[in-house]
Amino acid sequence: MSEHPQIEEMFDEYALGALEGEEKRSFESHVKACPECSVKLEEARARVALLALAAPQQQPAPAAKERLMDRLRSHRLPAAATAQRTPFWGWGVPLFAAATIALAVATGLLVRQNLETDRRLKNLQAQVALMQRQEAAEMARARTVLEILTSPRTLKVSLVSTPTRPVPQGKAFYNPQKGLLFYAANLPRLPSDRTYQLWLVPVEGKPISAGVFETDEHGNGEVLLPSLPPGISAKAFAVTIEPAGGEPQPTGKKVLIGAVS
Amino acid sequence: MAASLQPLQNPVTLSVRTFFEKAARALSTIPYSQEDRASDLDLIRRLAQGDESALATLYDRYAGVVYSVAMRVVKDAGVAEEILQDIFYHLWRHASDYDAARGGLGAWLFVSARNRAIDRLRRRKPLDAPKAEATLPSRFNLESRVAQAELMSKIKSAIDDLPAPQRQALELAYFEGMTHSEISQRTGEPLGTVKTRLRAALQALRQVLNP
Repeated sequence: MSEHPQIEEMFDEYALGALEGEEKRSFESHVKACPECSVKLEEARARVALLALAAPQQQPAPAAKERLMDRLRSHRLPAAATAQRTPFWGWGVPLFAAATIALAVATGLLVRQNLETDRRLKNLQAQVALMQRQEAAEMARARTVLEILTSPRTLKVSLVSTPTRPVPQGKAFYNPQKGLLFYAANLPRLPSDRTYQLWLVPVEGKPISAGVFETDEHGNGEVLLPSLPPGISAKAFAVTIEPAGGEPQPTGKKVLIGAVS
Repeated sequence: MAASLQPLQNPVTLSVRTFFEKAARALSTIPYSQEDRASDLDLIRRLAQGDESALATLYDRYAGVVYSVAMRVVKDAGVAEEILQDIFYHLWRHASDYDAARGGLGAWLFVSARNRAIDRLRRRKPLDAPKAEATLPSRFNLESRVAQAELMSKIKSAIDDLPAPQRQALELAYFEGMTHSEISQRTGEPLGTVKTRLRAALQALRQVLNP
């Protein structure tokens, strides 16, 4: 066998990948054949690995972890095979089971004789106990409520609803030849002299009224198959608030708008 | 008695909320306190059974160093993240091959990060795609970020104490994957000088790690 490397640092140099040429080849061929030096090389690799800690500290973007977890889920591994059950039934077990069953049957017969006499008594006892328990529970509950209300150590926190309301939404289904269907939800109720009006905004030209509509108590409204000139290319749909009866052109506030994508 | 409903800015409500916000903020600045204490060995076993949360824990434990070393080598956040993702994804897919009982998962991840990053830097095809079974038994505990931080400060101060030419040789070898003669070409120093410097640097590292 060739000689051990003369310089201890050669293990680290090899682990770094700095050795080359003849020096590298003779190092490799020696270590391959020398268990002692293989161990030293493993140690050097572990040591050199720690130089990673000398890199200036950087944190990956927080989203990187999300991306990784998403990638994992999109290539989920099949669930690992369930653990093998160890054999349970041995020779003694059936005998033991048979004995247990015989004993249980005998016990059952004896118990049944006593059962009928016991049943009535127990029913009465149970009724009394139940009433007592209910009374005690109600008393305890009342006491706890009182204690909570009067104790100086009770924290008082008021919870209020957040002021968000359901967001108004609308959906239009438009086929230039066949017509328009429109549904809206969560629209606020309007005063009686106002109405919602739906507009088709063509690619060219002024908005075209697609009709006025009312909302129900849940804020839902709809416009189904209004009369529209056929074959108009739509750029967008919009809902405005207009004086009752509607207007030939939009004048009021836009509450919903959606561009044709 | 009627309950009094108060506006949203009720002082009690507010103080409870700000308390939780403050607490959450304080916790987020102390990452160590939230660490999962499960051992790498347990986590690898859970990983092999398809437990995603085990990977998340290992990520929290090692992604910092893996990403830092990749960044130091490739100096590109996009590429560094790609390397980071590939390494943890590889670990996920091959967890059952990984012989966790031998230990050294942290060291193995660091080596993978460095190798992959240098492959990218030098536009090499990955010659030695890290094998999951090639573990690095290590007596250095890297299983908590506190332990990593301790070891990190030890290594950094050892490297900072090196004379500049030695430090440069070590950094070129480790972070750029250069051989003796490549370092010699880069620095314009004779090959013998380069070897002497690199060995001196490695000796210092040995001393600080083998007390």
